[in-house]
Amino acid sequence: MTETRPSTPTAPTRRATLRAAGGGALLLGLGVTGCRSAVSEAGSPAGEAGEAGKASTEPRRGGTLSVAVNADFTPSLLFAQSAQSLQQRLIYNTLTRYDDRLKPQPELATSWEYAKDGRSLTLALRTGVTFHDGRPFTADDVIFAVENLQSPLRAAQLRATAAVVTGFEKRGDHELVLKLAHPVNNLFDLFEFMIIADRNSVEDAVTGKRLNGTGPFRLTRWSPGSGLSLRRNETYWRPGRPYLDGVELRVVPQADALLSSLRTGQSQLSFSVPGKNLSVVAATPELAISQYSTGGGAVYLGVNTTVAPLDDKTVRQALAWAIDRERILKQVLGGYGLASAAPWPKSSPAFTEAGRTHYTHNPGKARELLRSAGHTRLDLPLLHVNLPGETAVAEAVQYDLRQIGVHVTLQPTDSAAAQKNLISQNMPGLWTMGHGFAQVQPSTLAVSAYPFNEAKNTSRFRSAAYTKVVREAWTGPAEGARANALREKITDTLLDEAFIIDLAIRGSVQVSARKLHGVTLNKFTYLNLDDAYLAG
Amino acid sequence: MRGYLLRRLPSALFVLLLASLLVFAVLRLVPGDPAAVLAGPDASAEAEAAIRASLGLDDPLPAQYARWIGGLLTGDLGPSYAIGGRTADLIGDGIGATVELTLGALLFVIVLGAAFGMVGATSRNRWLRGTVRILTTGALAVPPFVTGVLLVLLFAVLLGVLPPGGRVPLLTAPDLGVQYLLLPALCLALPSAAVLGRYLEDSIGRALSEDYVRTATAAGIAPRRLLWRHALPNALPPVVTLLGMQTGHLLGGAVLVEAIFAWPGLGQLAEQALVRRDYPVVQDLLLLLVTVFVLVQLVTDLVHAWLDPRIRWE
Repeated sequence: MTETRPSTPTAPTRRATLRAAGGGALLLGLGVTGCRSAVSEAGSPAGEAGEAGKASTEPRRGGTLSVAVNADFTPSLLFAQSAQSLQQRLIYNTLTRYDDRLKPQPELATSWEYAKDGRSLTLALRTGVTFHDGRPFTADDVIFAVENLQSPLRAAQLRATAAVVTGFEKRGDHELVLKLAHPVNNLFDLFEFMIIADRNSVEDAVTGKRLNGTGPFRLTRWSPGSGLSLRRNETYWRPGRPYLDGVELRVVPQADALLSSLRTGQSQLSFSVPGKNLSVVAATPELAISQYSTGGGAVYLGVNTTVAPLDDKTVRQALAWAIDRERILKQVLGGYGLASAAPWPKSSPAFTEAGRTHYTHNPGKARELLRSAGHTRLDLPLLHVNLPGETAVAEAVQYDLRQIGVHVTLQPTDSAAAQKNLISQNMPGLWTMGHGFAQVQPSTLAVSAYPFNEAKNTSRFRSAAYTKVVREAWTGPAEGARANALREKITDTLLDEAFIIDLAIRGSVQVSARKLHGVTLNKFTYLNLDDAYLAG
Repeated sequence: MRGYLLRRLPSALFVLLLASLLVFAVLRLVPGDPAAVLAGPDASAEAEAAIRASLGLDDPLPAQYARWIGGLLTGDLGPSYAIGGRTADLIGDGIGATVELTLGALLFVIVLGAAFGMVGATSRNRWLRGTVRILTTGALAVPPFVTGVLLVLLFAVLLGVLPPGGRVPLLTAPDLGVQYLLLPALCLALPSAAVLGRYLEDSIGRALSEDYVRTATAAGIAPRRLLWRHALPNALPPVVTLLGMQTGHLLGGAVLVEAIFAWPGLGQLAEQALVRRDYPVVQDLLLLLVTVFVLVQLVTDLVHAWLDPRIRWE
């Protein structure tokens, strides 16, 4: 039996459709003319910004800068090196600041002098500085800052250096002598890293309730998942600074959305654009790309030296020869960075071209070394963090190692579990990850970065010679022929032992609207906007 | 009704208790913990151990569970381990955003679903029906992470008429808030709107095939009146049931859409908390989710019991 349906149409008539369309258009029109535009409120498109930037480059007061970040502020990591540390130098100050040659420059400390035996340092502190709540900055705040980092609860990576300070001698409110257990040459790394926070509200700070510093901007609000809103500190100790009225750190976790945010002008600055997206930015004339020579950390292949046959140095060296670092730099990091066998960026005093190119892509030599160690085929596990960039590095390493007969099984792991394995020395034969701390005094890498730590590291590598040279480099002079010789020895040991095989130095890449000027980063990626302004 | 409610409550409470135990246990079975995350990749094992002790992670598991449940019962959700701040504040901030997004998407689902269904069931225009069918097939086939990127590309990058992401709360600035809400709500709504449209089309088609419609047509009742007064009311009940189920899907799908549009809701919070093994935040979020579903189930049972007295006496 066939079913019948009423043949008469029941759809809206043409007149009704036209009425509905007209009404809709009217409502839309009223809405458009009566409302503010979210696009204009968020900022002019990057294109307009670029043209304006060409017209005027004179510093100009006012405006709110929107910075796109891929991770939210984590208050519990305020005193440690976290994934997102741009806000540190906006809300707080540090004691000193390195210039491009790693020479300390004054911030809250105006001058300093080492004792002849290197066991104490006298700091002259800046006067007339107040915290955002109006309380004056004094030597007690520096004492608190150092003691705070000495606590293991703060998880500060430079805790070993902070722990060298064993006593304080106050000479009035603005002069302080730090007494040291032994001489060290990386105290200014600590001063570059250590933010001066209000000692009376530190527990509020680590819960994100109240961040009271001496920096150029005050915290207006932290909206978890959304970001930070900051406004100008009108009583900032640098006269006439900052130029900007405010800063928004806007969380945009998804890479494509972050790129759109920059291209539409919703954000004017970001350091979080992945390497694969930088070619799109480069093709957008309204956006500018600049690179910091300090690098943004390094990508490495870690080797567990207690797992056979990786306990044989020759096998580890074979792996180091097998990897095509230039390809990783090009394909994974978008060409921004430096293919390097050594951990040092170009700005480091330990950087040498010979060290950088010590291992190049030479599968033939790698196979020969493997054969000399008695192997033609190896099967090894490789752990990596299951994020796109990290996976791409692991896959590139897997491909290169297969060419020399090393068959790698990838073990994708989430970052928390990978970190747990790293710290508990529970890594499989191979792993790929990133490390920091090569951008400051070279001794800091071997003292503060766990993968390189001479006393205890993930690779379970032990060597009396390595310990000796690291200790000498840490307690010896920061400059001169002896310092250079010790750094060279550290580099030689790292390259020869190959327990950490460096692959590439990540570029610390800044993407910004062309109308933005005067942005700088410190060595720990703290954003400095004291002199920044939006032109035009 | 009160007696029926009292009979249903113990099972609901039992489900919540079981869920709390499961959530607590499963989280601890996953490798990695908040102390390792807080310590960071360059930290020493000593620093990690000190952090673990300070968070109470060295305590026996029953003690940790009792502390969590005790806090919940006294209204204190405790501090977040790895994100920072109070868990209650973090969830409070995110829940408003997620509810706003879900309601916005629900509105789109109803409007678009009704339009798709009505056109599909009643239009005589073959091209129009074909277009609707292509649209609904596309909306069902293309995943939200692709739709989201395409919407941003079109409306934010190329046309520049809507922001690519972020949120201004509707209650703070309704005119701006709507513009921030449009794209994520549309992206979230499209698959559900397509499902609803197809279901409505089918449901109206069945209603129009019923004998009473044929009789009414023969009696000379106007087609429009026939559709709106007779066929549609009979076609709607199953569609409303489906809409309820789709609301659950919208809440779940919000996680992905929030990431694409940088929408600071519970989805983003859950992802952030899970990656960092922030036990209190993840536990509270999951238990909140279970509680919502248990409550919805309870309310549904009560409505059924109210509608059908036989259920009350079973």
